[in-house]
Amino acid sequence: MTISRPWLHGFLDLCLLAMLREKPDYGYGLAQRLAAAGVADVPGGTLYPALLRLEQQGLAEPSWHPSESGPRRKYYAITPAGRDELNAQVAAWEVFRGGIDVLVAASTEERR
Amino acid sequence: MSGWDHRFEAELLRLGVQPGRARQLTEETAQQAAESAAEPDGLFGPAHLYARHLVSELNTAALPLSGGEKGQVRLRLTGVGKRYRRRTVFTGVDLEVRSGEVAAIVGANGCGKSTLLRICAGLTRPSTGRIQRTRRVGFVPQDAGTAGWLTADEHFTLFGAAAGMAPRRSRSTGEHLAARLAWRPARRELTQHLSGGTRQKLNLVLGELHAPDLLLLDEPYQGFDQGTYLDFWKQVLTWRDAGRAVVVVTHLLHDLQNVDQVYDLGAVA
Repeated sequence: MTISRPWLHGFLDLCLLAMLREKPDYGYGLAQRLAAAGVADVPGGTLYPALLRLEQQGLAEPSWHPSESGPRRKYYAITPAGRDELNAQVAAWEVFRGGIDVLVAASTEERR
Repeated sequence: MSGWDHRFEAELLRLGVQPGRARQLTEETAQQAAESAAEPDGLFGPAHLYARHLVSELNTAALPLSGGEKGQVRLRLTGVGKRYRRRTVFTGVDLEVRSGEVAAIVGANGCGKSTLLRICAGLTRPSTGRIQRTRRVGFVPQDAGTAGWLTADEHFTLFGAAAGMAPRRSRSTGEHLAARLAWRPARRELTQHLSGGTRQKLNLVLGELHAPDLLLLDEPYQGFDQGTYLDFWKQVLTWRDAGRAVVVVTHLLHDLQNVDQVYDLGAVA
């Protein structure tokens, strides 16, 4: 199962920043990591604008690197501001997830 | 460059992106397509639509991240209600807007959005409740407030004078603000000959001419085309970043991604 579009929109920045904190990566690599994690197949038209936005907000820093095959790639690395934002978003995410877990657990009790 | 790239760059320019930045974005977009070994059309869809999506996405960059400091209260409504004879339009409206904040008032037609905004502006008296507001208020009505027999420059002078500004300064400020909405007022053109969209731009400029601390906007984009519409929201974010408090009446739900708080008037009634 992959997450629905509106959901993804809210959590894409969080996912991208988390992946970049693990290691710098380029667009296509990030898309593959998201797919491999089972989170989403993110279309390029959603992913690249999000990366540009992170760059513009100073949360991720780009650098160009040659690739063994084909054109050079734009790698993104997380910045200190990006780490701060990620921490804030992770905290918000944990509250949100905890709340949903409680609701889902309560409904499962009910069905027994 | 391919046809797609050309169309993409042309649309970016049309949307007001600086030429250097448009070229850079076009080149990077081509590179991103090459990165995933795909045609840009397949990866991003039609060039002009992707350009619009990208511009609106980048324009949200000014949003404060995860909260941030809020400023002084510029507008506070406490238990505000409005009744016409026996008919209650709304009751118990509480709303607080601080500097550096954008609030949207939403709700179905006829639920009193415009009336509430006029009450915020002090133009209509509430039946109940209390209003506190900053002294310098800019009000942009839906489609009124301009005089058909005056030119844009004359409006700038007149509205500027009401706020104690010298004529030359009013005119240059007005023209500067108009340019930000991609509009160059013609010297002799009377307002009655302007299109509806351009008249709304004039309204917006007049609302902002005296640099108010609180801006009240009543669906100020009627008749705007897509490009101007984006310019308008960019302008709202600029006001917010400059520490203004902004209240927008709107019925377009996709506007709401840009605002800090939403007051649903329909849900209260």
